[in-house]
Amino acid sequence: MINFDNSATTFPKPESVRRAVSEAVKKYGGNPGRSGHELSMQAAQKVFEVRAAAAEFFGAETENVAFTVNCTYALNMAIKGIMQYGGHMIISDHEHNAVSRPVYALSESRGVEFSIARITDNEEETLRSFRRLIRPDTKCICCCVASNVTGRVLPYKRIAKLCKEQGICFIADCSQAAGIIDLKLSDGFDFICTSGHKALYGPTGTGLLITNGEYPLSTIIEGGTGTNSALLEQPSELPERLESGTLNTVGIIGLGEGIRYVSRLGPERIRQHEQQLCSRFITRISERKDIRIYRSEAEYLPIVSFNIGDISSHIAAMKLSEKGFALRGGLQCAALAHDALGTTSQGTVRFSPSVFNTLRQTDMLADAVLSI
Amino acid sequence: MKKTMIAMTSITYAMKAKELCTASGIRCDVVRTPKNIGSGCGYSLSVRGDIEKAVALLDKNRIPHKQSYEI
Repeated sequence: MINFDNSATTFPKPESVRRAVSEAVKKYGGNPGRSGHELSMQAAQKVFEVRAAAAEFFGAETENVAFTVNCTYALNMAIKGIMQYGGHMIISDHEHNAVSRPVYALSESRGVEFSIARITDNEEETLRSFRRLIRPDTKCICCCVASNVTGRVLPYKRIAKLCKEQGICFIADCSQAAGIIDLKLSDGFDFICTSGHKALYGPTGTGLLITNGEYPLSTIIEGGTGTNSALLEQPSELPERLESGTLNTVGIIGLGEGIRYVSRLGPERIRQHEQQLCSRFITRISERKDIRIYRSEAEYLPIVSFNIGDISSHIAAMKLSEKGFALRGGLQCAALAHDALGTTSQGTVRFSPSVFNTLRQTDMLADAVLSI
Repeated sequence: MKKTMIAMTSITYAMKAKELCTASGIRCDVVRTPKNIGSGCGYSLSVRGDIEKAVALLDKNRIPHKQSYEI
């Protein structure tokens, strides 16, 4: 099976990540941050080193990097931490359910009001769409850096600038972009939320919530942190405030190697390679006139969403799976984005290569698509 | 011989402090706080050297900490 579903999770993982995970299971079995014995301290030291590596990668202070289970948890913690006492927020019409569902849940349970900005091919128009939705009680804008359906890159630096001008918080879903675009807090993010298992090449069960510290978060999960244990109140210090319960030491150590791997290659080089595969794929499948590719002249990450005639995207993905290719069909957990694309009923088939895919594999896939 | 300690607010700050002090030539280790300093479990920096210099270094680099103590 050749994996072209790397936007869901990258596979295979780099050899260094596999080795680190194996070593972590063998050597780092203590509970980090809970005791003073050697096993605990060794594990804590490894966790700290990964925290420092992630901080450097995203231009953050080490203590402002919190480990989460995945990007969905990071987004829930940021969105609910900012909005749990009500107010208004803005999301885009390209959001994953990891953004739209917690926002909707807050609107039902906490009276939070939200507006949806329209992303168009015209950057100025997109910016105007966000700007005109800002109200006196708007607390934040939360949107993706790039769509998980099409790879469409939003004008995130300009959205960040708008937030700064208006004094509102900017929460970014960087799940697809982290590791492909060189993202830093200095780009204007107040919160970077990302998975660790996609383009950062860590194991599943890893994610990051990174902040510049400007907006203290209310917590949605409280519990043991290994510090201030005599108090019922959750500690205020980051990152422990946001990391109740035992950490995923094995996953975190694997994520650290993933980040080092991406750092060595560089996001730009990875993007160029994957973009080359996307260009080849688009050129090849465009031979067939009934194949629709969901791209415009805008900027895209190396993701290609397409449909073959009026064949259900689920059926097309299933046929490709039978031919040995892993691609995702359906709505990719992004109802809003498909509404915007007009593909809610058919969904799309999503091609998303990783650094390990080749032109030859891409040609083989294109042959398979053309044969359906 | 007594040990000099700086109680830290978290293990992350304790490790950050150790990194900083070590880079500045101050030998130290992160240890579990051996008695209740403040509000229960926690971590301290065990300093083998000039503790006042270590405290000044943490303050200069805005690393939060609790009090210094001896055991």
